[in-house]
Amino acid sequence: MRKNSRHLLGIFSPVFYVFIVMAGSWALYNVAWRINNDAIHQVIANISGTLLFLSVTFSTFLIYPMVYMRGGSLGERIIASLINPFLWATKECIRLYISFTPLECLYYYLNPLNIWLLFGITAQMGIAEIFCRLWLRAKGKDIRVLSPYAVGTVLISLFLVVLMYAWGQGENVYVLFLKGYRLFFGSGVKI
Amino acid sequence: MAGYICDLLGSGVTRRDVLRLMGRSAVAGLAGLSFGRIAGASVHRPSDMPNIIFILSDNCRWDCMGFMGHPFIKTPGLDRLAKEGVVFENAFNTTSLCSPSRASILTGTYAHTHGVLNNHTPWTGKLPTFMEYLKNAGYDTAFIGKWHMPGRGLPNLPYLDLFVSYTYREGQGSYFNCPLIVNGKPEPSLKPYITEEVTRRAIDFMTKTKTGGSRLNRPFFIYLSHRTAHPPFQAPDDISGMYDKDKVVLPKVVDSWFSRTNGNVYQGIMMGSYEDQYRKYCEDITAMDREIQHLLDVVERLGMTDNTVVIYMSDNGMMWGEHRCHGIKYPYEESIRVPLIVRCPWLVNKPGTSRSQMALNIDIAPTILDLAGIKIPSFMEGRSLVSVIRDANLPWRDAFLLEYWKYYPENLPSYKGVRTNRFKYVEYEKTLGPQIFDLKEDPKEYNNLYGTARGEGMLPELKRLLAELDT
Repeated sequence: MRKNSRHLLGIFSPVFYVFIVMAGSWALYNVAWRINNDAIHQVIANISGTLLFLSVTFSTFLIYPMVYMRGGSLGERIIASLINPFLWATKECIRLYISFTPLECLYYYLNPLNIWLLFGITAQMGIAEIFCRLWLRAKGKDIRVLSPYAVGTVLISLFLVVLMYAWGQGENVYVLFLKGYRLFFGSGVKI
Repeated sequence: MAGYICDLLGSGVTRRDVLRLMGRSAVAGLAGLSFGRIAGASVHRPSDMPNIIFILSDNCRWDCMGFMGHPFIKTPGLDRLAKEGVVFENAFNTTSLCSPSRASILTGTYAHTHGVLNNHTPWTGKLPTFMEYLKNAGYDTAFIGKWHMPGRGLPNLPYLDLFVSYTYREGQGSYFNCPLIVNGKPEPSLKPYITEEVTRRAIDFMTKTKTGGSRLNRPFFIYLSHRTAHPPFQAPDDISGMYDKDKVVLPKVVDSWFSRTNGNVYQGIMMGSYEDQYRKYCEDITAMDREIQHLLDVVERLGMTDNTVVIYMSDNGMMWGEHRCHGIKYPYEESIRVPLIVRCPWLVNKPGTSRSQMALNIDIAPTILDLAGIKIPSFMEGRSLVSVIRDANLPWRDAFLLEYWKYYPENLPSYKGVRTNRFKYVEYEKTLGPQIFDLKEDPKEYNNLYGTARGEGMLPELKRLLAELDT
């Protein structure tokens, strides 16, 4: 049990490190504008904005290999890669509670940006898997670098990432999201 | 003149039509001398039923025009319109969101009356639009451009002689190669850029009315509804990038990343920095302005300037980082305030002047009907601005109702409020606290007086006013 806990802690610690960066940069970004010095505000906003963007969008490139190297299974690698983006998406859903009902907030999980992010993370997992295999092979392990599953995941995910944007700069997918909303909630208002 | 003739011939009008038009323009010019004068105006009113062109833009701020002192935007067309007409420096929408504001313009009523509460609420057609009255009075009518009210496709508006619009992408359309629906049937674009496309069709409608056929010399009304400047911003190639080297000074509370945070990514401004997005917004406005200029030139060349009213307005303004807000839905001045310019030569005493009275989107319908000499229907809640155009000092309304219904997924609760000449009071449906601003002492609305001794003193009167307007 104790060993298992230590194993999980070791595996998921990269998730925690990235979470600290994500939460910290988010907090910093949202207080930076209160700084009375515009130059300092802009510098902090740019740094924290960049870190926030990277931690939400591209942290899989860091987390997946780290969990891999720490002996995490495929399931653990996938879960570890998804935790922080999921927390971010949840935060965004909660943000909407300022104006909407809990059910409307839940529907927000399906917004195109989250789906786009999901495809992006899947692509990163595939790429990271290939690099990890390359690393293991360099260490002398007899392993197939270009696993069909990894390559397939990368190709399909990247195709979907590009397609979602190419199809009307994402606007068409957004329209579908709004149509879905109206299907469930109508206009969401009445007099 | 040669260029103009090329324009006409290019649009399918024959040489014979042009010659006939030139003859008629000369006769009309002479005939115009015999009409009576409107008090004080320097141009004779040439007809009881003037031509009317109403140009509506989308999300264009009241201060985003050259003549308003904008640091870099070039809008010679709107500058000219302002120079030749009157500018309403206190023009507002009553619901700061596209579809409700558009329905308010069309019906002359508040959103709680016409029922289009947000961009998800279908157009009901339960109230007639002012265009129906114009048609019944003998006008040739055209609606060209963005309709943008949800429902199953476009509504059936039999009183329109020409109805050009689109349902593509929730009715938002696209800047390039937008699929059109013309009088109920899909039709290919004449021009790739939508702003040029709708202007071209407006010019065609106008010239055909004046050059022959069954509509010869009948008064016309054109509702020219631009997509500009709705995101994602795209300008034609020769305008795109023209402001790349101009310095953008946005409010200090925002930064380059602001377009991707706090849900702003859903405003269609994800790519590039916030400053770049603002430049593209300005480019879109310049592209529209060029078409407005083109339209004004054709009106002039057709000899119709003195008998044609041109009105320019936007459905909403737009926040560009003020109060760390982006978009159109907020009750702050940047989103509720809209540009409004009226060029009406026989009414305007001093072209190039402004009016300080509060004009609203719900005033457009009664104003247009009044200009056409049509009795204003009793259901309309707006007032004709004709008397204000004539008289800059006319006592006018003291307050109006602000209303907004939440619109998924824009993160702002429904609100109601009242704006007077000096104060603004807003109540939100949930989560956010009320706001009171003294617009004279605090025009940027930084100091919420709600909860202060001064605010508490004003509250009963503001609440009474709100209740009175919201009936």
